[in-house]
Amino acid sequence: MSTAELERQRPASPAVPAGLRRARRAETRTGYAFLAPWLIGFFVLTAGPMLASLYLAFTDYNLFRAPQWVGLENFQRLFEDKRYIQSVKITLIYVVLGTPIKLAAALAVALLLDSSRRGQSFYRSAFYAPSLIGASVSIAIVWKAMFSDGGIVDLGLTGLGFPGEGWVGNPDRTMPMMILLTTWQFGGPMVIFLAGLKQVPRELHEAAAVDGAGSLRRFWNITVPMLSPVIFFNLLLETINAFQIFASAFIISNGQGGPAGSTLFYTLYLYIRGFGDSRMGYASAMAWLLAVVIGLITLVMFRTSRSWVHYSGESK
Amino acid sequence: MKNRPLLAAAAALVATLGLTACGGGGDDNAAAEESGPVTLTYTWWGSQDRADRMTKAIAAFEAAHPDIKINPSFTDYEGYWQKRSTEAAGGDLPDVMQFDISYLRQYADRGALLDLGDVDIDTSGIEESLLPSGQIDDATYGLPIGTNAFGLFYNPALLTQAGAQPPTDDMTWDEYNAWIQDVTTKSGGAVFGGGDYTGTLWIFDMYLRQQGKQAVTEEGEIGFTKAELKEWWESTAGLRSAQAVVSAERTTQLQPKSVFGAGVAASEQSWDNFLAGYLTDTGAEKLEIITPPSDTDESGLFLKASMAYSIGANTEHPEAAAELVDFMLNDPEVGKIFGTSRGVPASSKQRDAITFEGADAQIVAYEESIADELGESPAPLAIGFGTLESNFKRLGEDINYGRTSVDDAVEEWFTEAESALQQ
Amino acid sequence: MSTATSTTTATAVAAPQGRQPARARRQKGAVARSAAVHLVSIAVLVVVLYPGVWMIVSSFKPTNEIVGDASLWPSSASFDNYRTALGGIGGISAWTFAWNSLLLAVLSVVGTVLSSAVTAYAFARIEFAGKRLWFALMIGTLLLPFHVLIIPQYIVFQKLDLVNTYVPLLVGKFLAGEAFFVFLMVQFMRNLPRELDEAARIDGCGHVRIFTSIMVPLLRPAIISSSIFAFIWSWNDFLGPLLYLNDPNKYPLPLALRLFVDQTSVSDYGAMIAMSVLALLPVLLFFLLFQRFLVEGVATQGLKG
Repeated sequence: MSTAELERQRPASPAVPAGLRRARRAETRTGYAFLAPWLIGFFVLTAGPMLASLYLAFTDYNLFRAPQWVGLENFQRLFEDKRYIQSVKITLIYVVLGTPIKLAAALAVALLLDSSRRGQSFYRSAFYAPSLIGASVSIAIVWKAMFSDGGIVDLGLTGLGFPGEGWVGNPDRTMPMMILLTTWQFGGPMVIFLAGLKQVPRELHEAAAVDGAGSLRRFWNITVPMLSPVIFFNLLLETINAFQIFASAFIISNGQGGPAGSTLFYTLYLYIRGFGDSRMGYASAMAWLLAVVIGLITLVMFRTSRSWVHYSGESK
Repeated sequence: MKNRPLLAAAAALVATLGLTACGGGGDDNAAAEESGPVTLTYTWWGSQDRADRMTKAIAAFEAAHPDIKINPSFTDYEGYWQKRSTEAAGGDLPDVMQFDISYLRQYADRGALLDLGDVDIDTSGIEESLLPSGQIDDATYGLPIGTNAFGLFYNPALLTQAGAQPPTDDMTWDEYNAWIQDVTTKSGGAVFGGGDYTGTLWIFDMYLRQQGKQAVTEEGEIGFTKAELKEWWESTAGLRSAQAVVSAERTTQLQPKSVFGAGVAASEQSWDNFLAGYLTDTGAEKLEIITPPSDTDESGLFLKASMAYSIGANTEHPEAAAELVDFMLNDPEVGKIFGTSRGVPASSKQRDAITFEGADAQIVAYEESIADELGESPAPLAIGFGTLESNFKRLGEDINYGRTSVDDAVEEWFTEAESALQQ
Repeated sequence: MSTATSTTTATAVAAPQGRQPARARRQKGAVARSAAVHLVSIAVLVVVLYPGVWMIVSSFKPTNEIVGDASLWPSSASFDNYRTALGGIGGISAWTFAWNSLLLAVLSVVGTVLSSAVTAYAFARIEFAGKRLWFALMIGTLLLPFHVLIIPQYIVFQKLDLVNTYVPLLVGKFLAGEAFFVFLMVQFMRNLPRELDEAARIDGCGHVRIFTSIMVPLLRPAIISSSIFAFIWSWNDFLGPLLYLNDPNKYPLPLALRLFVDQTSVSDYGAMIAMSVLALLPVLLFFLLFQRFLVEGVATQGLKG
């Protein structure tokens, strides 16, 4: 069935183009056979549901009665829904503050580890560990306990002269708490940065150092441009991930998004509306807006990346 | 329901014809064929304490009915309704459920609950006046497990510590608020007089009943104006700004305990069956319960079916499920196991078997003391009542956190309420 | 490009300095710098590991010492919390939850590895019409927020009467639904020398043969890191089980933990944390055994993106 087999079967000489076409067709058939599971999954679990939810976004649907077409009503309501606005606000703050802080931490530690080879792989593994477990329910519970009233963080701060009533119940402090949680998982992007740093030729740094360039200067002029594809990759992935935070917020706020809506992240509100209130149409509208916004952000990132991301292939 | 053999036969007939399977996918729920061991799913919301009691009660049931096995599960109250809502949509409700009358209509209207009149359950022990709280249009979808009534709890030990007088059962709302302020001031903030109670829809409902109104009418309409809600939420504004009530931050931190349960506040208005839980939470030796404040001659109190038993319409074993409900409702042993933790048992068969002691006796005495002042028990609440209640709580909390003005909260509550009641 | 410019500017700015003393200084500096690096690394390490250590220590503490007591060391260590945790919830043993988690995780690994490898082979080694389009779409799903799909997927599974079964949680894994793994394997295959399969083709092997007897053995490192990730992700997954499972007897550990959090009041942080430790144990074990594979897997993934 492979091209090789077919090629042996086909009669020699004049029919070469026809045979080649046939061989290509056979190759295509094999290709699709291999791709079949993914294709089924793509249509049944991704493309189909996406279209379905696009339709549902314009309907009123509670799982019991058949969906009723309501036009743009869901979208209009969304923009009048204070909790929705709150969830957008909270999520954007989290993405815009949390992602850069996490990436900065990741880059800083990667630079630190890159500067000395000794013990590097140990530190690298140890720092990576939180990324594996950070989004789990267990860690959310631990975080809640650590940041609660009289918890270890509170006691520590009181010891330093900043007494507080705990973080979990204070709407002004839940966001820093969540950002700390994501920053704690800096290991994932750090590992990628570190691998990227290894590809920066030492000679460039050495040459620059000999020429007397300070380390800050070398960082801006050598490391950052050489690392820009990796920075871009991390930024894109972490941004998209940040939009989808769910489990930790769910556990810390007991599924309610409290206190005072301060952990009402977008996906949590989507869950509450869709599965708590059985308003599937409304939740679908939310889901689509999220997809569109993430799509736009990705597009903008790709567009602007042309001006600051340098691929090694281009510069040569 | 009272004529058991006839009804049982009718039920068997209905069941064999598959008429009860409104929500299900027409599975063969032939009750007549129930030979061999049957497994029932049984679910409730509540604490570990309830789970422990439930485990004992289930063991008693299984011992008495070796042919039926129970598969129990439980969650917290909020999560409970999220799960039930998706299950109901899939025709996948548990066989037997603990239900709240706030949600009964919503599920019954969708055909998700079995009409308990069609199966064999002895309801002769239940007070006639209480049955309507589980009935809609002549069909019974929930049977009351216990009764409870609102009361004002206070903690005498904390008051002694604060050097304050106990509250009295003839206070007006203003007097109660002044008393809260007094306790907090006298104790120098070590003990609070109370929490901000205005975020509880049931307390507001009681206040409205004292004036001859109610929060949601039988027709499923909102029974008060925006101005009235504004006035209600503003009534404790002074206490909030003077920090005479427990701060919102502290309240959240203490969850799942209430401010009263945590021993931070000296009083709280709540359902009387909370007493046992409060005693455990506070570790106090004695807590008192009296009638809540009122500005009128009406107490606004009524006996509520604290919770009810319901059976999923999709059950494959309606007969076995009915046996379980019957057992849980009427068996004296079960009554002893639960005491008043789910309200004073609704069935006299359980009530009479128990010699009430301690906290249980206190609750029974309280309910007897208010017997003359009770209003009518409410019919199953309007669809969406649960949502109204949780929005009320959430907005009350937002006001407390200073995250929203009272005016905005009132507007938001009404907007949400209109769409919730429409559903 | 920009580096070249920076080097020249740097030269211009450079102050003239003697070569000899500079090198000596640099050597001495290197030692000092290395020590400084270690010091800072250790400081970071303390911060990073603190929550983990705190969690483990707390799991042996009586509950009243977990919150409200700053001392790291318990006044008296005991296994009470673990005893409570292993006692289970509502009559269901903790082992049931662990078994459920394990079953889901193992099936996820099998499904993910099989389907991803087959899919990756199509993308990496077979030339066919429309390949570019499908590949682009596959990458697109990598960026697609999962939440767009949960509602319609839920409705589909609900209509098929598959809610409260493991099917909705697993079917995607068997259909290469996780683009991350497909992508990882495609990258890996592209790096394998083409000469191998070309030689096999000349010998008359078809794609199926090439895939099973040449690719799969060579793919081992990629398969191992995919397996580990698939295992850990499934083990930690919360949203999927939350949506689809109703019966606590079918709950995996994260949902059981959630149930536990609901049921025990704050006063039992001890048992909650002990159970959290138990739930993380397999992940930590995997990590200790395979950390190199994991970290390398992440590193290559990022670089080729």
